[in-house]
Amino acid sequence: MRVALYVTCLVDLMRPSVGFAALRLLEAAGCEVLVPEGQTCCGQPAWSAGERALAAELAKKAIGELEGYDTVVIPSGSCADQIRNIYPQLLADDAAWSARARALAERAYELTAFLADVLQVSAVPAAFDGSVTYHDSCKGLRSLGIKRQPRALLAKVPGLTLKEMSECEECCGFGGAFSVKFGDVSTKIVDRKCESIAAAGADAVVGGDLGCLMNIEGRLRRRGDETTRVLHIAEVLAGGGT
Amino acid sequence: MHFQARAGEKVRNPVLQRALQKAKPLFVGKRAKGIAALADDALDFETLRTTCEGIRNRTLADLDVWLDIFEERATASGAEVLWARDGEEVGRLVVDIARRHGVSKAAKSKSMLSEEAHLNEALAAAGIRPVETDLGEYIVQLAGETPSHIIAPAVHKTIEEVEALFAKEHGRPIETRTSADIPDMTREARQVLRQHFLTAEMGITGANFLIAETGTAALVTNEGNGRMVTTLPKVHVVVTGIEKVIPTLEDFATLMRLLPRSATGQSISNYVSLLTGTQREGEHDGPQKTVFILVDNGRANLLGSAYQDMLRCIRCGACMNHCPVYFSLGGHAYGWVYPGPMGSVLTPLYTGIENALDLPHATTGCNQCGSVCPVRIPLPRLMHQLRTDQVERGLRPLSERLAFKAWAWLAGRPALYRWLTRRAARYLSWLAGEDGRIHIFGLAPGWTAGRDLPVAGNRTFHELYKARKRA
Ligand code: SF4
Repeated sequence: MRVALYVTCLVDLMRPSVGFAALRLLEAAGCEVLVPEGQTCCGQPAWSAGERALAAELAKKAIGELEGYDTVVIPSGSCADQIRNIYPQLLADDAAWSARARALAERAYELTAFLADVLQVSAVPAAFDGSVTYHDSCKGLRSLGIKRQPRALLAKVPGLTLKEMSECEECCGFGGAFSVKFGDVSTKIVDRKCESIAAAGADAVVGGDLGCLMNIEGRLRRRGDETTRVLHIAEVLAGGGT
Repeated sequence: MHFQARAGEKVRNPVLQRALQKAKPLFVGKRAKGIAALADDALDFETLRTTCEGIRNRTLADLDVWLDIFEERATASGAEVLWARDGEEVGRLVVDIARRHGVSKAAKSKSMLSEEAHLNEALAAAGIRPVETDLGEYIVQLAGETPSHIIAPAVHKTIEEVEALFAKEHGRPIETRTSADIPDMTREARQVLRQHFLTAEMGITGANFLIAETGTAALVTNEGNGRMVTTLPKVHVVVTGIEKVIPTLEDFATLMRLLPRSATGQSISNYVSLLTGTQREGEHDGPQKTVFILVDNGRANLLGSAYQDMLRCIRCGACMNHCPVYFSLGGHAYGWVYPGPMGSVLTPLYTGIENALDLPHATTGCNQCGSVCPVRIPLPRLMHQLRTDQVERGLRPLSERLAFKAWAWLAGRPALYRWLTRRAARYLSWLAGEDGRIHIFGLAPGWTAGRDLPVAGNRTFHELYKARKRA
């Protein structure tokens, strides 16, 4: 299967290892993985801010780049939601684009959903010595229904034990621009997440969206927690190295 | 003061934070239990909320008709129905009724609309004393504050604060209180309130629903004061919004499956009152005069608009009880009558989009509200619509708009974008230094005020990927 990897702008700039981990995972599952050249950002920040016209422009750009592949895989619930749910809505009244948006939406998957539901992988390349707790990011959970998939995949990692935190479905307070615009409120919210994580007592906190993970890691460190590792699920499933 | 400034203040108020932290798990836990218990009655939440959503949608589709029917039936049963365009008119009408009936004191229960209308101020200005009789409202009134939650108005107060208020107001020395003393404190308030019930000439309430087929006001309460307020005084005035009407008693029964469960987790509230007309011959209690004041105050504008869904709201409070932003700030940060997600939608719609620019942005987009709302109001979508309207009406700051334009322009030019992100990666990595974390970041001070910014390396993914392919 030819798969296009859409790494997301945040992974590109802030944590390339997530992109390489996703690449390795998909290749290990037997996919031919291509990284479309011109990809930049899916346009979600513009959409969220109410900048509809700019969001539509970027949506069209992404559709043009991605529609030539059998499947598009995205290591982020919120960017996957943008392509799967928002693009068709955003371009619904655009005669030239609405069908193309819908066609792409049907073939775009969040990484764990693709591995667990579409490929139904039976093994993952990783080994992990320790315990992890999983944070359900909001868009993945409530817009895409991703809950079971990451856990099913983590269960396949030899040596890994899952220690669920209480309130794993609670928002971490990231929210994109919200985290900067309302920094003190965002910090208050992530504080509670940090407490849940601490109470779970796992070696690492794992999630599927880099934005949430940077928020959690940033706050954990500021609170003085230097040991709890903060990892993207792709990094855990694909094992070490970049 | 703007939302952002208020928010900063609330986040740093330790007493408030203590009160909120205590309340949140109670609200969430009780609702979860209440919803889970639906299964005992062989009911399914999602099916039920589709039904409730449908009832509210059908009513809104013909709102004028249902209101006509309500008016006709209510009048036939002996009540009077008046209409108010806005809050000021509500004040005028109530004061007028009070004067005609020689009212000097009004006992009140359960009406968020009276907050919208600033009814207490209007009454006081006319020399009529309004006394709030819901325990939470009573506390808030003593403190000279406004409710911070639609079903738990004093949720922002700690027990120590309430004790101090009671001691002062009830003229007794202050004592050390724990939650075990709550029944005693309630008894104390009840004794004071009882006198008011017996002496008030007017009772003022809201209504959870107006039932068109019978001309009835439905009141869903827990403390029993609603009964006193609606039966002891000789005049009863119901002040509520025009959107509260529903067609039938059957619809009421259905909505009641979800309203108390969503609010407090109860399968049914302690009291459910259905109030129709006035005291009839041979009856021993009930008012001699019942007046419904049905208020628009911005509601009719939403009919047929992109925001009509909001009118389905049955004021259960579940959205704020599950909102991470609400529980970081409490209700007063929102600046108007309604807090939390429903407030972030209603406040700009009822007071003017330009007067509440921050509210639709003060959301993480988590949709915890939308997933619990018993009438399936897509609150995040409505907040998003408001943000879009702000942009379209030119209400966003120019600097923000230009920044988005520049960023989108750049994102549309991959070669340039790559070049710049490569520079950015190096710059961030340089700022992060040895420990790979930025501690103070001038471009996003809001982030680094409370968090580090983790930076992983000084190369972008696309840069590394290209190098790897070449090798
Ligand atoms: S918006 Fe929904 S959840 Fe919020 S108060 Fe109204 S009915 Fe309840």
